[in-house]
Amino acid sequence: MAGRILLELKGVSKSFGATRVLEQIDLAVEDGEFITILGPSGSGKTTILRMIGGFTQPDQGQILLDGKDIAKEPINRRPFNTVFQDYALFPHMTVAGNVGYGLKVRGTARQTIDKRVAETLDLVQLGAFKDRYPQQLSGGQRQRVALARAIICEPRLILLDEPLAALDVELRKQMQDFLKVIHREIKTTFLFVTHDQEEAIAMADRICVMNYGKILQLGSPTDVYYKPHSEFVARFFGDNNLIEGTLGDGNGERRVVDTTLGPLPCMADGATAGAAGSRAFAVIRPEAIRVDVGSGWPQGSTGGTMDQIVTGQVTSVGFGGSTTVAVVEAMGQGGAVPLRVKLPSRVEGLPIRPGDRVRLGWRAGDCRLVAG
Amino acid sequence: MAASGQRISGDTFWRGLAVLLAYGLPVVFILLPLAAFLVYSLFWVEGTEMHYDLTLVNYIRFFKEDIYIPVLRQTIVLCLEVAALGILFGYPVAYFLSSLKGRKKYTLLMLLLVPLLMSYIIKMYAIRSILGGNGFLNKALIALHIIDQPLTFFVFNLNAVLLTLTVLLLPFAILPIFLSLERIPKNLLEASADLGASGWQSFFGIVLPLSIPGVISAATFVFILAIGDFLTPQMVGGQNGFTFGRIIYSQFGFAFNWPFGAALSVILTALVTLAIAVGFRFGGRKAGAL
Repeated sequence: MAGRILLELKGVSKSFGATRVLEQIDLAVEDGEFITILGPSGSGKTTILRMIGGFTQPDQGQILLDGKDIAKEPINRRPFNTVFQDYALFPHMTVAGNVGYGLKVRGTARQTIDKRVAETLDLVQLGAFKDRYPQQLSGGQRQRVALARAIICEPRLILLDEPLAALDVELRKQMQDFLKVIHREIKTTFLFVTHDQEEAIAMADRICVMNYGKILQLGSPTDVYYKPHSEFVARFFGDNNLIEGTLGDGNGERRVVDTTLGPLPCMADGATAGAAGSRAFAVIRPEAIRVDVGSGWPQGSTGGTMDQIVTGQVTSVGFGGSTTVAVVEAMGQGGAVPLRVKLPSRVEGLPIRPGDRVRLGWRAGDCRLVAG
Repeated sequence: MAASGQRISGDTFWRGLAVLLAYGLPVVFILLPLAAFLVYSLFWVEGTEMHYDLTLVNYIRFFKEDIYIPVLRQTIVLCLEVAALGILFGYPVAYFLSSLKGRKKYTLLMLLLVPLLMSYIIKMYAIRSILGGNGFLNKALIALHIIDQPLTFFVFNLNAVLLTLTVLLLPFAILPIFLSLERIPKNLLEASADLGASGWQSFFGIVLPLSIPGVISAATFVFILAIGDFLTPQMVGGQNGFTFGRIIYSQFGFAFNWPFGAALSVILTALVTLAIAVGFRFGGRKAGAL
């Protein structure tokens, strides 16, 4: 989906005192997309958002909107609106007052404001609440008021700063779906900042993974999930298995990592793999590993065509709702490596217990090379 | 067992003492004197002799004689003016203070509060030497050839009282406003700018409405302190700067009519209580919105 570029950050750096928060950031936001900036706290993700919004100035670099540098434009002149982490609703104004504020300061006529406020509140399903004050609303409702207040001015870009962080899990899931619906409906670009990888995967068209003020990877959710480019990204998405080893000879898409489990063939992106002999990881997602408890490979998998098979002993089994996670101590020539295996749960329980000896198998295509 | 039993009874003793002090001290030092005033206001004086039978004659005198109510009204107007001036000058200072960052902010705040540590009398004498007919202000104006005769506009009259009270009570206006400005979350201003508001629009749309509770408590503070003051009018008010506080003072100091003075004090106390109630009602409700 190579859309038109709406906003571009070029070589943006920022320090607070002696701390370097952003290091030469290049990022292009496409018109109409839902892009998520994902990273742990302190990664610089919020600073990027605040810089685009105009709340902080970059030390270096350009922020281009439609190709024009807006790094010096004041906050109130930028055609972006923000949904703040703690909503920042005006406590002395009603819901209608909050939502209409952006139009009011632009000098829009009273009737137009009333009409647009009513439409926007209907869009976020808060039509009945227009005369309430923020403190009379629940967290989810405040969230939707904040969203309505941001979209009413029809900004080119909506900045969302961890807006769901304060909500409980159930409500958060609902709001994620809701935000997607709104995004489809109003066809504006969303830039969403979060530290929650599940949230990022569930919502984004593209995910930009950050740490230590740098962009580590930018791509679709499936890309960053299945094809991590770095150890950090591989570890950040769930409970990946990273088997450490040394990179063998060769180049191109298929490489071999020498590990304690023996040589493991891996899929590689030529550009990101290191030189032969360097430290590397063979990365396998826990749900990609098949388990044979002695009665053959499970139905539906590729049967006897496993590319890689290791044996091991189960050390723990944990029921986790839809999936059950088992940790298996896999044996190799060089020693044992604990591997996490994710299996679909069943009501009668899984035929796997701590202490069992099992075979683990996976296909070469599910094993990725990540440079160490 | 015995030890823990002892400890419990020890705890009970200290807790009992704390409760006794918490309720007892205000009763002994505040309520009892007020009650004493109330009772005293019901006695009466004939010549130099006190009569200890209860009567409302003092209150009747307050309403009947032509002098007291006009002076009270004039004093209320004066103190409202002091409160208004305090807000007018205090608000910009408080706003400036709250816009500063870090150490600068608190250093300046401390400087503004230093006058509160100085003796009231010393400050008054200082102001007298500025305001008098031959005072610094007149001399300076003459030296600058702005006037050629000393002005009497602010010399020992109500204007001087107004000016002095405003200067003396300004810190009490600045502080509550400063605190209410500090309590406004910074992200509300960011949100306002984000939605397209200019600096002025943010000020009138967000900052001013949200600092109203502070303005009201500042006004209440200043009004109460001003209306209870008798020393300032005494020292800079001259013959014309007559206030209700001075009348009360004279009943105790010169007229030796303590019951009548007590009755006037009770009336003043009622007025101050009313002012506090009004301040609480409006300031409190608005503050609840934050």
